[in-house]
Amino acid sequence: MGMRRKVGGFVLRVNPILCDGFGHCHELAPELVKVDEWGYPIIVNTPTPLADLGALESARYAVRGCPRQALNIERIAEQP
Amino acid sequence: MIALTSPYLWYTTRATGFVALILFTIAVTLGTFVANRIGGTIVGRFELNELHRSVSIIAVVFLVIHITSTVVDSYVPTGWVSTLVPMTSAYKRVPVALGAVAFDLILAVWISSLLKVRIANRTWRFIHWFSWLAFASALVHTLLAGTDSRKGFGLIVAVICASFVLAAAVWRYLGRPTRAAGRTALSPLAAAKDQSVPARPLLDSPPVALRPTAPRPQPTVPPRPSDGGFQRGPRAPSKKRKSR
Repeated sequence: MGMRRKVGGFVLRVNPILCDGFGHCHELAPELVKVDEWGYPIIVNTPTPLADLGALESARYAVRGCPRQALNIERIAEQP
Repeated sequence: MIALTSPYLWYTTRATGFVALILFTIAVTLGTFVANRIGGTIVGRFELNELHRSVSIIAVVFLVIHITSTVVDSYVPTGWVSTLVPMTSAYKRVPVALGAVAFDLILAVWISSLLKVRIANRTWRFIHWFSWLAFASALVHTLLAGTDSRKGFGLIVAVICASFVLAAAVWRYLGRPTRAAGRTALSPLAAAKDQSVPARPLLDSPPVALRPTAPRPQPTVPPRPSDGGFQRGPRAPSKKRKSR
C-alpha cells in the first residue's frame, strides 16, 4: 500500500433501496449525515476533502456500521 | 494423542460452557436491541451494535476454550471431528452432536459477519437468522450434556438464559421490520420527540386527497399525414422488447 496523495474529495453515497433508516450512520458521522423526519439519511452533498482525515474516518465507521451495508464512499477527483 | 487428563480441564469445560451460554444470551439480546432499533437516547444505536459485536467475539473465545478443553481432556472420548460433525462422538452422542450443530451455526454466523462487506446483505441477514437456532441447540446441549445444568444454580442460570432469549424472540417477532422506525438522539428533531410532532401531511391525510377525482383528459394525437389517414391506436407494449 503506497502513500496516496490526499487530493480530491469524497462523498458518502447511500443506496436508498437497501437503507432501512437505522440511523447508525448519523450517529457515527454526524458531520456528513443528517436524518430526515423519518430517520432516513440526508447526506451532505458537497465533497469533503480527503485531507480531512477525521471526516474520512467517521465516514469509514459509518460504512462499516451500517446494518444494511447501504453506504459507500465515493471518491471525487479534484476539479482541474 | 497423548493421554492428558486433569480435573481442572473438566472444570474448565463446565465453567466456560456456562460463561459461553451467558455471553451468547447477552449477544442475542443485544442483537435484538439493534434489530428493534433500541437506543439513540441514553446509549447510541451504533454503541449497542458494537457491544453486540464485541460480546459475540468474546463468547466465541469462551466457546473455543470450552471445546478445546473438552477435546484435550482424554477422560471422555471425544475428538476434534465431533466438534464439527454431529453424531460422531463416542461420549454422549446426541448432546455433543447438538453442541456441534450450535458450533457450526455460530461459525457460519461469525464467518458471514467477517465477510459482511463482501457478501450481499440479504445473504448475511439470512445466515444471521440461524443464530436463534444455534442458541436453541446450545441450550439443549447445555441441559443434556451439562454436569451442573440439571440441578441447583446451573439449572437456574440455564432457565434465566432461556427465558431471556425467548423474550427476545417474542420481542423480535412483535417488532418485526418496520421501515422508518424513528429518530436518533443526535437528530435535531429528537428533542421534540415527546412534544407534539407535526403531523405528516402526506401520510396522515386521507388517501382521497392524493388522487385526482376527475379522470385525466387524454391528449389527442392528430393523425400524421404520411400515414394516409391510417390512425394507429395507442401503442401496445411490444412483447419483443425486453424489460430492463
